[in-house]
Amino acid sequence: MNFKKTIFAAFSAALFLISCEEEIGLPTQTSLGDYDNGVIVLNQGNFGQGNSNVSFISNNFEKFDNNFFNIVNPAVTLGDTGQDIGFYGDFAYIVLNVSNTIQVVNRYTFKHIKTITGLKNPRYITFANGKGYVTNWGIGSNTADDYVAVLNLSTNQISATIPVAEGPERIVANYNSLYVVHTGGFGYGKTISVISSVTNLVLTTINVGDVPNAIKIQGNILYVICGGNPSFVPLPAVETTGKLVKIDLSNNSILSSINFAGMVHPSNIDIVGSDLFYTVNAGIFKTSISSATLPTVPFFSTTAQGVYGIYSFEIENNYIFVGDAKDYNSNGLVYVYSLGGILQKTFTVGVIPAGFYFN
Amino acid sequence: MTLRKLYFVGCLLVCQFVLAQNDSVIKLKEIIIADVLLRKFSNSQSILKFNDSVFKKNQPSLSSLLNYNSFIYFKENGFGMVASPSFRGTTAQQTAVIWNGININSQLNGQTDFNTISTRNFNTIEVKSGGGSVIYGSSAIGGSVHLNNFVAFKKQFLNDFQISYGSFNTLDFNYNVKMGTDKFTTEISFSRFSSNNDYPYLGTSLKNENGNFQNSSFNLNFGFKVNRKNTIHFYGQIFDGKRNFSGTLASVSNSLYEDFNTRNLLEWTGFYNRFTSKLKFAYFTEKYNYFEDKNFNGFSSGNAKTIVFKHDLNFRLNQKIEFNSVVDFTQSNVFGNDFGNNTRQILAFVLLMKHQVLEKLQYELSFRNEFTNNYKSPFLFAFGAKYEFSKQYVIKVNLSKNFRIPTFNDLYWNGLGNPNLIPEESFQYEVGQELKFNDFTFSATAFLIDINNMIQWSPQNSGVWRPFNIRNVTSKGLEIASNWILKSKNTTFNINCTYARTISTDNQLQTRLIYVPLNKITSSLSFNYKKIITDLQFLYNGKVFTSSDNLSELKSFKIINFGVNYNFSNSNTYKIGFQVRNIFNENYQNVISRPMPGRNFNLNFNLNF
Repeated sequence: MNFKKTIFAAFSAALFLISCEEEIGLPTQTSLGDYDNGVIVLNQGNFGQGNSNVSFISNNFEKFDNNFFNIVNPAVTLGDTGQDIGFYGDFAYIVLNVSNTIQVVNRYTFKHIKTITGLKNPRYITFANGKGYVTNWGIGSNTADDYVAVLNLSTNQISATIPVAEGPERIVANYNSLYVVHTGGFGYGKTISVISSVTNLVLTTINVGDVPNAIKIQGNILYVICGGNPSFVPLPAVETTGKLVKIDLSNNSILSSINFAGMVHPSNIDIVGSDLFYTVNAGIFKTSISSATLPTVPFFSTTAQGVYGIYSFEIENNYIFVGDAKDYNSNGLVYVYSLGGILQKTFTVGVIPAGFYFN
Repeated sequence: MTLRKLYFVGCLLVCQFVLAQNDSVIKLKEIIIADVLLRKFSNSQSILKFNDSVFKKNQPSLSSLLNYNSFIYFKENGFGMVASPSFRGTTAQQTAVIWNGININSQLNGQTDFNTISTRNFNTIEVKSGGGSVIYGSSAIGGSVHLNNFVAFKKQFLNDFQISYGSFNTLDFNYNVKMGTDKFTTEISFSRFSSNNDYPYLGTSLKNENGNFQNSSFNLNFGFKVNRKNTIHFYGQIFDGKRNFSGTLASVSNSLYEDFNTRNLLEWTGFYNRFTSKLKFAYFTEKYNYFEDKNFNGFSSGNAKTIVFKHDLNFRLNQKIEFNSVVDFTQSNVFGNDFGNNTRQILAFVLLMKHQVLEKLQYELSFRNEFTNNYKSPFLFAFGAKYEFSKQYVIKVNLSKNFRIPTFNDLYWNGLGNPNLIPEESFQYEVGQELKFNDFTFSATAFLIDINNMIQWSPQNSGVWRPFNIRNVTSKGLEIASNWILKSKNTTFNINCTYARTISTDNQLQTRLIYVPLNKITSSLSFNYKKIITDLQFLYNGKVFTSSDNLSELKSFKIINFGVNYNFSNSNTYKIGFQVRNIFNENYQNVISRPMPGRNFNLNFNLNF
């Protein structure tokens, strides 16, 4: 997708040069729409209130548009409980959990194109082999109807469903393999399903540990954060501490599994070079991807900003983006930190900032 | 005696509500009301009272009645769905619902869903503004709603049959029979309310897809006069409801919710000179089943069983001083998927006193202390006074300390409940005045409520939600009610208005509470000419905030309903009528993203014989 963008940039730059010969040098960034060259913040909104929305922060932090979906599309309601956004080609696919829909928009202009229906409790989306893959819980209380929907990207219709274990959440693609994290829906998962995007079949299941909730691919390794069972897990299960698990993508075997000391429930993951970041409550932790031990003190804490718990977390362009949902019933905040943990910017976004998607 | 009785009955039939209570009617042994304390020891507060002629002008749910006729604001998740009140700016758990003198708020979530109570089965419904925890226990902070059945020992055989049918295949049916002698009395009633409820969402191409509901309720009241001094009563009620839960503008729902509640009260009243003793035994059950998807057989359920033993002793020291003691033992047992199996026992002692100090001055003083093994209960008290400057002008003051105990959900929700919670406490101050002329009454009450240790479920830094006693809210405002009746030979003109102004503030956030309108107005006007009866209802709800930072809001709305009835009978009721609700097709929501119905119609028929 970056390739397409580059070609377009080169092409428009050429035009630019032709038309204004006096100008010297190339523009550094070419915009394909109002929401290019920046981060889209998905504001989840409240369950049952249909107030999901998106905000935009430009890469240079100079442009900020809050809750702009309805400004671009006055006739369309984005939906209830925005869960994830996937980019593919010129399109953004916004997954709405409670609405059971995916809103397809132009990823740079956010002009609405189509509403995909036919999903059941959709969660996360990724793309492989020219197709979209969407995890679905089915009926939350039914542990046997969870599936991954296969999305035909030319017709924007669901073309197949792949039954999987309960509670499929985040999904990532590595060439033609899809890795589905079973965080658990109403229950508590402990596996990762590997699906072939060629056959649409589950190839294997990897046992990683209690409640895997975040994954990241770097090189040929899949890094998995397991949160551990929470304190309120129903008996006979008991509370367990978190884990960092590394999986070799060439044979789907576990390379290492490091327990967090004490009783710690980590979440989120991102990797910059050889630095691996994750979060615990309001703290951001940093370790080396090759380290055999885990730090016990945070790299830095967001409590100075009043962040209660880090709801969303992503690193891009050497900035750390942190979403704070506050009381979950008012506009949330986005904090932008340098890689060194120094606060750079603060933005008031919509209700429950749930994810960052870089355009 | 007879004159007083006539006055009482006349008052019930003629007035839609009376603002002040005439406590002299209690002494009548012919008409027995279980909730006597409301009349006897609530003289320094204001009460709105409704009878069945008002019920019939409204849809059968308690939320419809009170929404159009009282100060209470309702959040309703679409028509017929879960309806929770906000009274004087407080939460749904801070309004107590009292059935024949006993608090029936759910043991599970501490509140009453006002769409699971049918008004059709009661003789009167009263709305008491302000604190009442001393008498009624938990939740009577914003106010209390009293559902009363009363039993008359007299020779009678009265049937009342009513049916109405309207838009969206909505059917409201009720049959009531009263039979009695001077020793025996029985009242049986059955009512049913059902609707496809698939009204269009105005301004969209959508409709209320999963909103159909049906509910039935059955009531049996029975009285037996053993001798001149002893009577026995039984009050019984069963409510069976099944609702699909509506979706929203942004999502379609498939869920289904079933309610099954039973209430039984056996009461022995003895009159012994200056003592009146009431021994009560009550048994309540509540049960819900929630199906996330009506096509899938998995569901979660909750059950509660409550027994109450209560002894209520009234002692009239002399013409001026009256005492009342109450000993109440309540045991609740709750079990379900989400909170295991837990039991709570509460022992409460209440002492009430009323003193007519001067001819014009009366005061009331009362105390309550509860003991339970779960938490420490605060000592509650209330003080009120009433001064009658003249027959036309009365001033009332009242101050009280009230509470709301933690619910079983708060305490025991699997892994998240907080067993260390303590009750919410509130201090309340109010001053009211009443003007009364022949045909006109007017009351205005200013109030201030301070609520501390309010229980709030809030996200912990791990993202997990748990309840804590962390909130602190101040609510202040004004309530005005008026009633004016004009009568001539062939015409009756009656107008009722209520106005509530409420400012409810979260003291930490310094923002207004969500879903509390600054202004609410209701008005009902009835005009009768010979056998033609017309009614006009008006409701104005000010805007409400829907987010705690007060950045999201729902706009204000105005609703007008109009009905006309013709009575074919000269002596009895044989009425046929027609009603248009929401005449101006107002597109409104009282919960975000959940539209309410536009213009709709119904035909009704009422026969009394």
